[in-house]
Amino acid sequence: MPKNILKVALDVPLDRLFDYLDGGFSVQVGQRVVVPFGRRNVVGVVIEKSDSSEFALEKLKTIIQVFDDELPIDPSTFSLLKFCADYYQYPFGQALLASLPKRLRQTEPAVSRKQYLYSLTPEGMGADIDLIPARQSVQRKVFAALQQSTLSESALKEISASWRQAIEAFRMQGWVHAEQVLAGFKSAMEAAPPPPLNDEQQVAVNAVTEAANTFKPFLLHGITGSGKTEVYMQILQQALADNDGQALVLVPEINLTPQLEARFRNRLPHLPLVSLHSNLGESERLKNWRLAQSGQARIIIGTRLAVFTPIPNLKIVMVDEEHDGSYKQQDSMRYHARDVAMVRAQRSKVPIVMGSATPALEAWHNAQSGKYTLLSLHSRAVAQSALPNIRCIDTTKQESTNGLTQVLVHAMRERLAKGEQSLLFINRRGYSPVLLCSACHWIAPCMRCSSRLVVHLKQGRLRCHHCGHEQKIVRQCPSCGNADLHPTGHGTQRLEETLKALFPTARIQRVDRDSTSRKEALNDILTAVHDNEIDILIGTQMLAKGHDFPNLTLVGVIDTDSALFSPDFRAAERLFAQLMQVSGRAGRAEKPGEVLIQTAFPSHHLFNALRTQDYPAYAQTLLQEREMAQFPPYCYLALIKAESTQYREVEQFLNFAFELARQRSDQVLTYDPMRAQMEKLKGMERGHILMQATQRGALQKLLAALTPQLRASKLAAKLRWNIDVDPMEF
Amino acid sequence: MTNQLVISGEVVQIETLRYTPAGIPLLSFVLRHLSEQVEAGMQRRVECEINAMLMGELAEKSQLIKVGTHLNVTGFIAKRSLKSAQLVLHINTLNY
Repeated sequence: MPKNILKVALDVPLDRLFDYLDGGFSVQVGQRVVVPFGRRNVVGVVIEKSDSSEFALEKLKTIIQVFDDELPIDPSTFSLLKFCADYYQYPFGQALLASLPKRLRQTEPAVSRKQYLYSLTPEGMGADIDLIPARQSVQRKVFAALQQSTLSESALKEISASWRQAIEAFRMQGWVHAEQVLAGFKSAMEAAPPPPLNDEQQVAVNAVTEAANTFKPFLLHGITGSGKTEVYMQILQQALADNDGQALVLVPEINLTPQLEARFRNRLPHLPLVSLHSNLGESERLKNWRLAQSGQARIIIGTRLAVFTPIPNLKIVMVDEEHDGSYKQQDSMRYHARDVAMVRAQRSKVPIVMGSATPALEAWHNAQSGKYTLLSLHSRAVAQSALPNIRCIDTTKQESTNGLTQVLVHAMRERLAKGEQSLLFINRRGYSPVLLCSACHWIAPCMRCSSRLVVHLKQGRLRCHHCGHEQKIVRQCPSCGNADLHPTGHGTQRLEETLKALFPTARIQRVDRDSTSRKEALNDILTAVHDNEIDILIGTQMLAKGHDFPNLTLVGVIDTDSALFSPDFRAAERLFAQLMQVSGRAGRAEKPGEVLIQTAFPSHHLFNALRTQDYPAYAQTLLQEREMAQFPPYCYLALIKAESTQYREVEQFLNFAFELARQRSDQVLTYDPMRAQMEKLKGMERGHILMQATQRGALQKLLAALTPQLRASKLAAKLRWNIDVDPMEF
Repeated sequence: MTNQLVISGEVVQIETLRYTPAGIPLLSFVLRHLSEQVEAGMQRRVECEINAMLMGELAEKSQLIKVGTHLNVTGFIAKRSLKSAQLVLHINTLNY
């Protein structure tokens, strides 16, 4: 029997493959096809070829088209996605299609435009510029430039917007030769020489290098400024030397990719590098994805979505800042990129290096138990730079005006006088988090969420930071009519206003999502900081990560206390990581740094650990707490979340799921349905069921049985629901 | 329910003009009142200081108000805030 039946994965919310006839096209497994589905034509990926179908042959439809000029997607990418789809209880077809660049999900052929380098041919060399008529000024300019050097398209574009006609004219005359290049590979000139490693760095590099071609997880724990990036680069250099191997490097934030990319290109110019993140244009993303798939790109650096990129010659996986919450996808397939990377490394039999100053407790636990090999960097890479001196300011004893204590103001004034920079960290954007009526205590609420509207005073707007709802600031209190409403509490904008009044001559810059919405805004600000054009920075967590400011010597932390007593079980871990990161901004070069934290609870053990920069001790305490409370990593969690405009429907569905789950497993503890912490979000009433098990397998077994039943239930059709395996919070 | 206070006096303390979040101008000051009044058929002296405020157009046209300005005002009184017992006179009309 010819295998003319194709099993095709489609982007539809059904957990199965669809059978189609190949219609005489020659199709390979892994290729994209266009198939009729209902009334539409959609793109699918051929997963399998078979000689039989459970459906009658005459009922099967025929594919419309196959993109046979494309490289098929390799089966190992399928199997990774299949594993993840099963683990995270998500339809495989949707998971697979979602992992592709958008251009590959469209039925139009996805062509990436080719890029060329132009140079003069011998005839062109011999030609005289005066052969070009004087009125052809563009041609003359381009020709003159080509006489100097070979030019890329972007270089030509800078000479003239209409360079294409000029080049076309020269090609007709045989003066110009075009050579196709792989765009994205900006080849740097000379490799910058590597700085000498200290002993610990060298040990780390050697340990990973020795593990080549075997699966071995490493946790690289290094305090801020200890030179983790240098270790990454030297590991890459070793791992990719003398072979055609490729490396996958995951970073938590888009903002950090250009920075890291630049350092890598500078040091490893011989290794073609591409980046993958959602800020890329669609055509660039497609191009980079294909360069990875074809094995031409040697280093693939990207955010969590890059973890599913086909990489045929994978030699090493790296996860920078592995504790970062942004590795967890929060919609559709709720995967954790660090965990997927781990599975991927295991399947490819390559080492994986996870780096962090404050590892996730899960990772730390695994390193303690010996599952991961722990590599520690205890000292800062630049020998002179000492760790910052961290102090708490007791806000119950020190009086503060407009949220700032005198101690902090004084410290900032000192920095200004010395020409050094300060950073104030406040994790709340906007002017104030609450608009309060002092006459009746009404607070401006969001009508669609259980949240309060944030005052954005300059714009005259009230905004919900959860659903994006926005309105004009009300003229008077809708409850009592009073017009004298008070913005209460502090946000970045208010702090900026206060500081401008305190230090009228200082150059103050606010960095939050509002002030950096323009594409290049953040980069411009960072450059200005490096050029010493800014004295005081006010920033949210955007500024906490990865940035290196040599002249910054003071970090002030304002109002973190709410996170100390959050009901979220990961809040303490996250706050510690964040404060550690922020503290790391102070005094990274030869100048000593100081960190002042304003808090009403200066003796909290979190601050004690922070003062000594002792992550291991604090992790130990937190792990004990987790063990007592039976939270991850001492158990495995899954959430069934549901939302609807009517809570009654949510309740019915969750009760149904709860009964099913209870009956099906006694190794999994299923808690009663309850309302989500944020009861209402974007107009939807929300609830969930928490499931807890000491064995990952038991939980997976239950979910595998439960999910199809839930999908089939009539109650499920009425509302939105999903399963979150290993949730970050609940 | 009636809530009207007619009073005259001299401005003794004045704050800078501020704006509500919606941009309505608002001016607060303290008015000192000094007069002779009749109580139960007996003449007596009255002295008091009262917190007062102006809003909107009245506040905008208030450049003339300075410490020492004499004002005749009418308005209503309200608590300063939910948990305060202090009263504030909200001025509706004023004459110099």
